[in-house]
Amino acid sequence: MGQMENTSQIAKEFAEEMEKKNRKEKITNWMPVGILVFLIVMLSVVADGFLTMYNFRSILSQLSILLVMSMGLTFVILIGGTDLSGEGLGGFVGAIVSLMVLNTKTSLDLGVLAILIAVAAGVAVGIISGLIHVKGMLPSFMVTYAISSVMAGFAVLSYKGTPAMIQDEFFTALSQGSLLGIPYLTLIALVIFLISYFLLEHTRFGSYVYAIGDNEGVARNTGINIEKVKIKIFAWSGFCIGVAGVMGAIRVGRGDVSIGTGTVFPAITAVVVGGTSLSGGKGGVLNSLVGAFIVTVVNNGLILLGVSTYVQSAVQGLIIIAAVALSVSKGNKEIVK
Amino acid sequence: MGKEVLFSAQNITKQYPGTLALSNVSLEIEPGKVVGLVGENGAGKSTLLKIIMGIEHPTEGGMKMHGETYHPQSPIEANKQGIGMVFQEQSLIQNLTVGQNIFFGQEENYTRFGILNKKKMYEDAKEVMNAVELEHIRADKKVSTLDFATRQMVEIAKVFHVAKREDGKGCVILLDEPTSVLNEGEVQNLFKNVRKMTAKGNSVVFISHRLDEVLEISDYIYVFKDGKNVCELDRKDADEDILYEKMVGKTASGEYYQIHRQTKPQAEVLMEAKGLGMRGYFRNINFSLHKGEVVGICGVVGSGKEELCGVICGDEEATSGSLFVRGKEVHLKHPYQALAQGILSIPKERREESVIEDKTIYENISMSNYKKVSSNGLISSEKEKQQAEAYLKELAIKAPSISQQVGFLSGGNAQKVVFARILASDADILLLNHPTRGVDIGAKGEIYSLIRDITAQGKGVIVLGDTLDECIGLSNRLLVMKDGEITKELDASADHKPEQVDIVKYMM
Repeated sequence: MGQMENTSQIAKEFAEEMEKKNRKEKITNWMPVGILVFLIVMLSVVADGFLTMYNFRSILSQLSILLVMSMGLTFVILIGGTDLSGEGLGGFVGAIVSLMVLNTKTSLDLGVLAILIAVAAGVAVGIISGLIHVKGMLPSFMVTYAISSVMAGFAVLSYKGTPAMIQDEFFTALSQGSLLGIPYLTLIALVIFLISYFLLEHTRFGSYVYAIGDNEGVARNTGINIEKVKIKIFAWSGFCIGVAGVMGAIRVGRGDVSIGTGTVFPAITAVVVGGTSLSGGKGGVLNSLVGAFIVTVVNNGLILLGVSTYVQSAVQGLIIIAAVALSVSKGNKEIVK
Repeated sequence: MGKEVLFSAQNITKQYPGTLALSNVSLEIEPGKVVGLVGENGAGKSTLLKIIMGIEHPTEGGMKMHGETYHPQSPIEANKQGIGMVFQEQSLIQNLTVGQNIFFGQEENYTRFGILNKKKMYEDAKEVMNAVELEHIRADKKVSTLDFATRQMVEIAKVFHVAKREDGKGCVILLDEPTSVLNEGEVQNLFKNVRKMTAKGNSVVFISHRLDEVLEISDYIYVFKDGKNVCELDRKDADEDILYEKMVGKTASGEYYQIHRQTKPQAEVLMEAKGLGMRGYFRNINFSLHKGEVVGICGVVGSGKEELCGVICGDEEATSGSLFVRGKEVHLKHPYQALAQGILSIPKERREESVIEDKTIYENISMSNYKKVSSNGLISSEKEKQQAEAYLKELAIKAPSISQQVGFLSGGNAQKVVFARILASDADILLLNHPTRGVDIGAKGEIYSLIRDITAQGKGVIVLGDTLDECIGLSNRLLVMKDGEITKELDASADHKPEQVDIVKYMM
């Protein structure tokens, strides 16, 4: 025994193991960027027309709605939850905004106010999802999936069968215009990205998002109102879906419920491919920005290579499995349900 | 009197269903002192800490802080009163910076409209870190980028900060096994900080299995055993031997463990470990298990015994060395592979790991060997029930019928169902991880008797006892582990039982 014996061999080994894990994690953290660079280099070589200004703009344009959707989802996934309400809710917001601006169906012409109301509706529905999830102690994926279905129904009800065509010139201008070569919609998306980054990295709210995702017990014992933070997260996700829904309506020029269709899965892919862990606590909006680029570049590349849309969908599915497989740390005792 | 007291606990009792975790414990902490708490696992130290931190509430008794009644409902309240704790498992948020972690939950001073003033936060964090001489750790670094020991130091700095009282009165810091991941230099740095803290009139409670450290830093030491504090010693009057003697639990009679029925091991070796190791947990483990033998493994939490147990039953993978079963080398990656070799374990957490509570007794019994109760590839519930009826009688399982759901049984009877499953499985190398945990006294005796029956049949048993005494009483041979290595192997044949004190020496 004696005085202060040396640190045991096993403690040293343990420290080394932790170090190894740490280093591995650092490498994994940069992997999404590596993959993006690799994709760009590879597609520049094999896909004709990939490395052109025209294609670059089209990538930026394709990126916009996906990026906005993934911003809200990042927060939800960071706490280990998920929000699947985007399809129905995005469609609903797109439908009602079209009915409130100058359009073919109603006499309303609220202009920019219509956007505010529509996005506010998105926030409200997000809060409802959050409340049901937190107060009802129901899994977020189930609640939001159901909410998506509910809102898709309301969307069609709102326009009673045939969607409204948007006639507001401001909207048409937004859909086509660009500033310094960057499409307006993409600029909006970038603004949302900046807000998200600020929220996550520079506010108390953001710290709590990481804390809840990393260790909810610690956050609770520190005296943080976890329920409130979670509801705020779903409100933020509802906001992003709302903005994405309005952007969708602007892009297609009419308020069809199908605006939301097929937007959620690519957004989840973007978040996960970017390196945000599905079990929460790790990742962030920068990751999702990279992820959104990866998803968009892959789709763009496949189109340029003439691959059919069905294969594209299959590729997207495989990408998400690969990304999750790489990002999840596995032990053979881990119980995965 | 004349003695100034910063914190005191009077007659604290904590009753959990089925177990008395703390019985009438009193303790006084004087300002400016370091108080050591020592005792075996399960002696009640952790429960007391949880009560002081407001995580658990005492069944009886009260506490005082600065002479006022202290009755925290949560760790936050404890912090506000000037009591903070460094938990054994680290509680920092990995993806936040050091500064954000230090002020986590207290961002009011750094927030305007919800926006964090990180610059100011990091400046203040720097001050907090400087106070504990951790100038070299940058406050804007993410915790996930720091090594393990540094994280531990940050955690300690954070607790020193959160427990600071607004009125400047002394605070109490609880350190639960803070040194287990620190190297010698870091331990010394921690001790320096502890002394600095106490020089300012604060007090520190230091819990460690490393008695040399406890003796080095503490002013006086409380020894816990079996939920009671058995004595308070001045450091001057204590040495390791005295502490060992005080902390070992009561010894039950040989009859209790049915030592007269202890079988002599047969010559045939069932299992042998040669240089077995799992990086970071244990290393160079050599032992053999004979037919009809009980081998007990003793060690504190963190000694590597749990992981060794995991490797033997296929739940974890060894990273070095080899394991032989009946002379043949095996590579186990899953418990089903272990079962195929005749190895089966009774896990520690019965409700989570061993029984399916919603299933009936007979279904639970047949789970590890369906072949026995199947015909033509289909499970015959007829056979299942016959088998269960037989075991119900044999093991005296108290239940209205074999169709009773296991969740409705008492701890002892549920554990007997698990034993019935083990018997039905035909496995002959049994790993019993705390086989009597949460089992009442009467049923304990029946389980000891069962273990004797099992070895009489020539099966081999490895046991991680619920108490040291149980481990000694049941085993033919004892392996004592410390810091991932076997520090001593002791003979424990029926007429040759070692004293607990002699074992504790090698554990701590």
